[in-house]
Amino acid sequence: MKKILVPFCLFLVTLAYSQDDLLKSLDSTQTEESYSTATFKALQLVTLQTTKMPAKKEFYFVVSHRFGTVKDGFDSFFGLDNATTKLGGIYGVTDWLAVSLSRHTLNKMYETGLKYRLARQNDNFPLDIVGYSVADINTFLEKDQYPGLEFKHRMTYVQQLLISRKVSEKFSIELVPSFLHKNLYNPDIERDNQFSFGGGGRYKITKRLSVNLEYMHNFDKPDFYKNPLSVGLDVETGGHVFQLIFTNSQSMSESGYLTNASGDWGKGDFFFGFNLYRVF
Amino acid sequence: MEHRWSKRKLIIMKKSFINFFALLLVIVANTSGFAQKLITKSGNIKFQASMPSYEEVAAESKSVSAVLDQTTGDFASLVLIKGFRFKVALMEEHFNENYMESEKFPKATFKGKIEDFDSSKITNSPKNFTLKGDLTIHGKTKAVSVIVKISKAPNGVNAIGTFEAKPEDFDIEIPSLVRKKIADKIKINYNFLLAK
Repeated sequence: MKKILVPFCLFLVTLAYSQDDLLKSLDSTQTEESYSTATFKALQLVTLQTTKMPAKKEFYFVVSHRFGTVKDGFDSFFGLDNATTKLGGIYGVTDWLAVSLSRHTLNKMYETGLKYRLARQNDNFPLDIVGYSVADINTFLEKDQYPGLEFKHRMTYVQQLLISRKVSEKFSIELVPSFLHKNLYNPDIERDNQFSFGGGGRYKITKRLSVNLEYMHNFDKPDFYKNPLSVGLDVETGGHVFQLIFTNSQSMSESGYLTNASGDWGKGDFFFGFNLYRVF
Repeated sequence: MEHRWSKRKLIIMKKSFINFFALLLVIVANTSGFAQKLITKSGNIKFQASMPSYEEVAAESKSVSAVLDQTTGDFASLVLIKGFRFKVALMEEHFNENYMESEKFPKATFKGKIEDFDSSKITNSPKNFTLKGDLTIHGKTKAVSVIVKISKAPNGVNAIGTFEAKPEDFDIEIPSLVRKKIADKIKINYNFLLAK
């Protein structure tokens, strides 16, 4: 009869199946999506795009300003008298494709963009990869100045690859190889094809505040322009994302930003501005 | 000689037969114990935190797991925070990122007991029971006691109910800027179709 004792004890043990075990038995029933979310708070890092995509059917309205140079001091109230504006919209066609259109004061520029996700960071893949294709239409050029002007001369194209990684809860980095083609250029001072490489990152100070930094090195730029270096602060307030920025490149169009950085941080010559996003 | 030998063999066989029978009993008891567990992997939890005249703050998860041990009334449930879907994607992102911190606290759980549960008393019309246990959200555990309505369902039971939870009880911070847009008490509805 001793031998019966062993299975009998076994029987008692199984009766003591507790609530904890009940809960543990549920663990295996759930598998989590491992995609990284909120690598960046906004669609833009400072002026560069981030790998964040609008969700399907989501519409973003964007208003951005870059004021005149801070260097002028009180003459232009640190540049605030000379505002340039970008008004635009971005629409998520699907979760991986977004279209955008914006109008810029500077050079009366229209910018159309296509942003498409190629890969997402998850447990098996370390990076978010997004493609960004831009066509800028300069409507400031006039026939009086350029008698041979055709529509194609107004066009500048930019193709970028945005590669990011959410390193930790607070810290994300992004690398951006960028290729630009100008249909109208002055061969004495610049090239029609320009290659830039750079990137940036963000660091969250609090849940709703982050500091962003970005830099692009243009390998084909003329000497008198600088490489764009910008710093920003993201402030998230419910449905809005507000970005305060300082940059040495006043332009908000992708082509202008990369090739026409006129400010010089070393001489206190930089621009204040902000991006404001509203989601619908 | 030969006769005695086979008698010994018979005794050994008899002993091992008893052992075998006991083992069989344990197996049967265990499997019938398992059969007493009702489970779902597609339970439903909805919560509502809207304030009148402000944007709707509500979400739903349709992949909640729950298990009920019919013999004891022990009950447990588990939901992944990232599984809650909002109408507005940005709200969902903020919910995960700023409020629930779902990277740090990926799931909410409940474990407890339905008091005086007796499966033989379950009928097609819902009957009220008291469900007592520990609710864990955002890494913080709180003892709760809620009313659960249980009725008979094909191959099991249907458990539904409503209760309220306060974000501050679970250390979920709501900044003053959005304070008036989010209800003080979050209304939570659950619906579990538990089956064998």
